[in-house]
Amino acid sequence: MQGKCGLFFTSYRGEAQIFQSGFQKLMVGLFILVLLAAPAVLNVHLTSIMNLIFIAVIGAVSLNLLTGVCGQISLGHGAFIGVGAYAAGQCTLHGVPFPLAILVAGLITAMVGMVFGVPSLRLKGIYLAIATLAAQLVLEYVFLHGGVLTGGSNGLLLDPPTILGFSFDTDARMYYLLFFFAAASLLMVSNIMRTKYGRAFVSIRDFYLSAEIVGVNLFRYKLAAFGLSSFLAGVAGGLWGHYTGYISAEQFNIGLSISYLAMIIIGGLGTVLGSVFGAVFIVLLPEVLNVLANSVGGYFPDIAQSIVALREGVFGLVLILFLIFEPEGLAHRWRLIKAYWKLYPFAH
Amino acid sequence: MRVGKIITAVCTVILAGMVLMGCGGEEKKPAATENAKDTSPIKVGGLTDLSGPTSSVGVPYSAGLKDAVKYINENGGIDGRMIEFDLQDTAYNVQQGLSLYKKMVNTDKVVCIQGYGSAVTEALIRNLSKDKVPNFSASYSAHLTDPKKAPYNFFIAADYTTQLRAALKYFRDNWKEARAPKLAFIYPDHPYGIGPIKGGKAYAEELGYEIVGDANVSLKAIDATTELLPLKEAAPDFCWIGGTTPSTSVILKSAKNIGMDTVFFTNIWGSDENLFKLAGDDANGAYSNQAAAVYGQNVPGMKVIEKLTNGEHQMTHYVRGFVSVLVMAEGMKRAAANGPMTGEAIKNSLETMRDFDPMGLAPLISYFPDDHRPNMAVFIYTVKNGELTFVKEEILERRADWLGH
Repeated sequence: MQGKCGLFFTSYRGEAQIFQSGFQKLMVGLFILVLLAAPAVLNVHLTSIMNLIFIAVIGAVSLNLLTGVCGQISLGHGAFIGVGAYAAGQCTLHGVPFPLAILVAGLITAMVGMVFGVPSLRLKGIYLAIATLAAQLVLEYVFLHGGVLTGGSNGLLLDPPTILGFSFDTDARMYYLLFFFAAASLLMVSNIMRTKYGRAFVSIRDFYLSAEIVGVNLFRYKLAAFGLSSFLAGVAGGLWGHYTGYISAEQFNIGLSISYLAMIIIGGLGTVLGSVFGAVFIVLLPEVLNVLANSVGGYFPDIAQSIVALREGVFGLVLILFLIFEPEGLAHRWRLIKAYWKLYPFAH
Repeated sequence: MRVGKIITAVCTVILAGMVLMGCGGEEKKPAATENAKDTSPIKVGGLTDLSGPTSSVGVPYSAGLKDAVKYINENGGIDGRMIEFDLQDTAYNVQQGLSLYKKMVNTDKVVCIQGYGSAVTEALIRNLSKDKVPNFSASYSAHLTDPKKAPYNFFIAADYTTQLRAALKYFRDNWKEARAPKLAFIYPDHPYGIGPIKGGKAYAEELGYEIVGDANVSLKAIDATTELLPLKEAAPDFCWIGGTTPSTSVILKSAKNIGMDTVFFTNIWGSDENLFKLAGDDANGAYSNQAAAVYGQNVPGMKVIEKLTNGEHQMTHYVRGFVSVLVMAEGMKRAAANGPMTGEAIKNSLETMRDFDPMGLAPLISYFPDDHRPNMAVFIYTVKNGELTFVKEEILERRADWLGH
């Protein structure tokens, strides 16, 4: 374990801590305080962007657990998020309290994820990707033809979340709720990665045969990865549905699955921090491109439309550049930045 | 690595930009005093698809919106106040639409939205009623017409199901044979395609049609022969196509290839001026539902459009965008006459609108507090020698049981 200068461990428990030094704990504490104070400073638009980031963080970290940590590629994550949205929506529409609805949504999505995870015992790599793509298509069909369960082509209208009579009906209120769920999800995945399950997932990802030889039950652990990942995807879906107030089949299409894959690739596969970076990057990218298009459009009114049309291309270009130049994602870049300052000014 | 440093620098700039965005943007208060007449601009947001999957129609629709704003402003605006129109691209992406909407309503303080596209429009329903901001969209789903579910949603065309019903009525009225006409439905497995089918089938049975089959043809299909062969066996007299112009052209060409003898009719997004370019002669004889005049048609408003566009031909989507702003402006004028211009005031004024004539460019428009169906009328066109030729304005009764379905 690469520790900081002057940091010594006298126990395995000490070495396995998430935040090892007092300075790290202080920084994280300050960061949390800043985040808690943010809605007071940010306007509603920026708060809403933060809310979208929190939801994306939960979705990304859940996919990272499955794909980055356990090596099981999934192209059906968007649909799993949809399952959570519909499940939580139906629960609250039938009077189930919101926290319980989110829990039920997670559990239902976990079950659905495990069903579609069954082929993972026999299928690997691109074959598994296609199998999960099938899950995406099947679930999209169910969303569209689910009758009263999904509202069919009309979708479902949902009310803002209410906990013990307190309604989270503004962006600032939703901010705290989503912040709580995002932090809890990050903590959950960080802890899973430190347990027997986490180590088994990594061993399956690195080489399934070795993992099996050392006694890892491949089927059980792969299913567990699908279950745990889908649980969090369900939570993200439930939160998204109640945040927007409306869910329809169109929202949980293959584009959403690809978007989440892009998040974990750009952020960094297999790291919790990478999921956060990826989510922030992908949510902010269209916003930044929009700002750029608008600012350039102010000087050249006729050129704005052409720039707008370039956005999809820019998104693709950014992905390609990341794959070529930063294959380990932003989390790796973050580690390099930290190392640079740690050694500054004696980098060599 | 140098490239790595560049990526780091770019990320830093992006983050700094976002921070600056949050810090800046102080609202400028209008300098109006109590005695002076308010001449501050009325802010309207535009959320359309300029670069996404439906941009081929989103771009001409947006051009119609922009030109109509120009026309309103050139003619004195709303009680002397100009409309300031901020058109933004959602790329048909819900998250992007939601984020832009929050900025427009909370930061820019728009009082009305000109929207577009089912996915974004529907995702905004709850936010619109919470923020009390009316949204005129080009998503004509029937469930948006029920104020109980979508109190701040408006549009200027008859909803998809009403359009289908009107065409069915037209063909049934002109049916001369003694037997029941046979009818089939072709649509994509997509919310937009499936939406009007249930209501359309129920009315078809009521009118005495014999429904002989269904076929699913994707919006991205490049051939529809496999899907059409079973329908050919059923020999329908009429076939509804609930797709977009590209998928309609594929269906028409495939039908011609297999020698299918039937009358095709499409909904509002299923045919436009591009249909003949895509399907050629195979498009001739097909019928199309439209909610606005086509370019060059002899109606009063067309003179205005021809002047604005210097006689350059525009698609029918352009005209609908134009009408959408005309109706919004009428609502604003009525709101201005009654007090401060707020989203709620515009909504309440719109609900008093009865038989408003958008210069003949679309059927007369009325909204009621408990019924946001703009009208029950559809323009029926047929493709004749490569052009959309006006046939009839079919008007249905405003039946309560059809509201929202």
